[in-house]
Amino acid sequence: MIALDGVSKVYHGAAVEVRALDDVSLTVDAGEFVAVRGPSGCGKSTLLLTVGGMVRPTAGTVGIEGRDLYALSHAERARLRADRIGFVFQMFHLVPYLSALDNVLVPALAGMRPGRVEAAAVLERLGMAERVHHRPPELSTGERQRVALARALIKQPDIILADEPTGNLDPENAAAVMGYLADFHREGGTVLVVSHDALAEEHADRTLRLERGRIV
Amino acid sequence: MLLRMMLAEIAHRKGNFLSALIAVTAAVAISVGVITVCDASRRETVRLMRDMGFNLLIVPEGTDMSDFWSRSFAEGEMPEDYVYRLADSGLMTIQHLVARLQKRVTWQGHDVLLTGALPEVQMTGGPQKSPMGLDIEAGTVYVGRHIADSAGISVGDEIDLLGRRLRVAAVLDEQGSIDDIRIYGHLHDVQEMLGRQGRINEIEALQCLCAGKQTLADVRASLRSVLPGVEVTEMRSIAIARAETRKMVERFAGLLIPAVVLIATVWVGLSTLRNVNDRRAEIGILRALGVSSRPIAGLFLGKMTLIGLLGAVMGWAVGTAVAIHYGTDIFPVTARAIAPLYGLLGWAVVGSALLCLVASWLPAMSAVMQDPAEVLSEE
Repeated sequence: MIALDGVSKVYHGAAVEVRALDDVSLTVDAGEFVAVRGPSGCGKSTLLLTVGGMVRPTAGTVGIEGRDLYALSHAERARLRADRIGFVFQMFHLVPYLSALDNVLVPALAGMRPGRVEAAAVLERLGMAERVHHRPPELSTGERQRVALARALIKQPDIILADEPTGNLDPENAAAVMGYLADFHREGGTVLVVSHDALAEEHADRTLRLERGRIV
Repeated sequence: MLLRMMLAEIAHRKGNFLSALIAVTAAVAISVGVITVCDASRRETVRLMRDMGFNLLIVPEGTDMSDFWSRSFAEGEMPEDYVYRLADSGLMTIQHLVARLQKRVTWQGHDVLLTGALPEVQMTGGPQKSPMGLDIEAGTVYVGRHIADSAGISVGDEIDLLGRRLRVAAVLDEQGSIDDIRIYGHLHDVQEMLGRQGRINEIEALQCLCAGKQTLADVRASLRSVLPGVEVTEMRSIAIARAETRKMVERFAGLLIPAVVLIATVWVGLSTLRNVNDRRAEIGILRALGVSSRPIAGLFLGKMTLIGLLGAVMGWAVGTAVAIHYGTDIFPVTARAIAPLYGLLGWAVVGSALLCLVASWLPAMSAVMQDPAEVLSEE
């Protein structure tokens, strides 16, 4: 499903060169739940954005279902993200002026088919039935992350890429969010979570450790 | 979803929306107001200048102009038919033709300038204008103020003049010019009285600026192509005032409108740029969700088009209302003719929508080109 082969990513600053990923090779099988742990600044987010087709590696290849992601055109990568990949971020990245329901429906701009009924159903499944018409500033952090999760799930993706999804949540909400990711995995989805939270390990089939851009 | 998102964003960032809307509304209002005022000014100038009188004089071939100015009329004559030839010539350079025959006569001890005038002949095929000058019926005369006062003549009196009995149809207001010693009659009456049937000694005309910029040489050439040999003179003070007034108004509009449009374009562009910067995170997540460039550009361009359309309608209404409100004071003669220019509404809608699209194009493209990873990495 996901295959990284010798992937490196070097950021060139004004005076320094930062090697965020250093010859990373890993494979995530379809239906697998993989957690990547590591300290802050070890390259976890870069890894996830590289797998998501948003950061072109300096070296190496990223394959999704056998296709070289960065051999695809910009539009083809966008299409792949729209159709197959759901994202969950630590900072939620919700649209502040849209209701929870409309935030879940934002992928419609990328041609997603499910409509308002399906979006309401996903929010209800995540315990947000009473909050569908509230906007992000009116929601708690836990609720915001559930809306972000619902936005990822509404597309019925094959893969969910989650970047510190519990990083801003209290233990109760963190457990709930990780539980939803586990549910998605149980239903056959592939999950790649990068986190420094031990909670991810409990649900993961496999945990990898990333340090200074290298899998150790 | 695109429209819902656009409207929700407008409601969320009202300041940004209002800022751009005010810029477009102001630009359209100023442009519409100026154009409406220019239109009123053009009408007013035409009317005022027309009221000032004819500005072209066509006199017979060989007229000594020094002699003409000392006498106030040409000694030579030309056929009355000339006025009809001019009317049928299709020339765009002149309007309002009046054929006249003038002679100095002594009447009851008074030195009188007897003037026979034909009712105005309009250019054939052109738009019919309201007539200028005097429309004197046969068998009647209009008497200048000095002669009327000297001879004790009133409206309704009958006078004997060169063997004809004529009714005084009007006594003219004092002009402070040679007109005060004129007695006007119908051209054909005067021709008969002077024994000069079918003859005239001048044609008065109004130079028309509707055919574009023309010099007196152009006008002379066009008139001589129809009436070879005639002398053409221009009453410059009237002609220059007329041309200068119109040029001044047109020059003012020609500078103001582009300046206002340029300012509005920059304002709308900066407003869109600020909107793009405010929405960097939103654009980043849209890119992460696989949203392509077109809907993202559509969010900005659609919003600006909406602003353009709203601004056009509001600006047209404001500009028209202001022009009508103040225009009636500025242009009292043609005040009643100042009316909304509905054709401008269509131009305003198309123009301001285009202005907004052009102004927001580069900021929208910068949104489309934005690297989502940059924003999504900002934790």
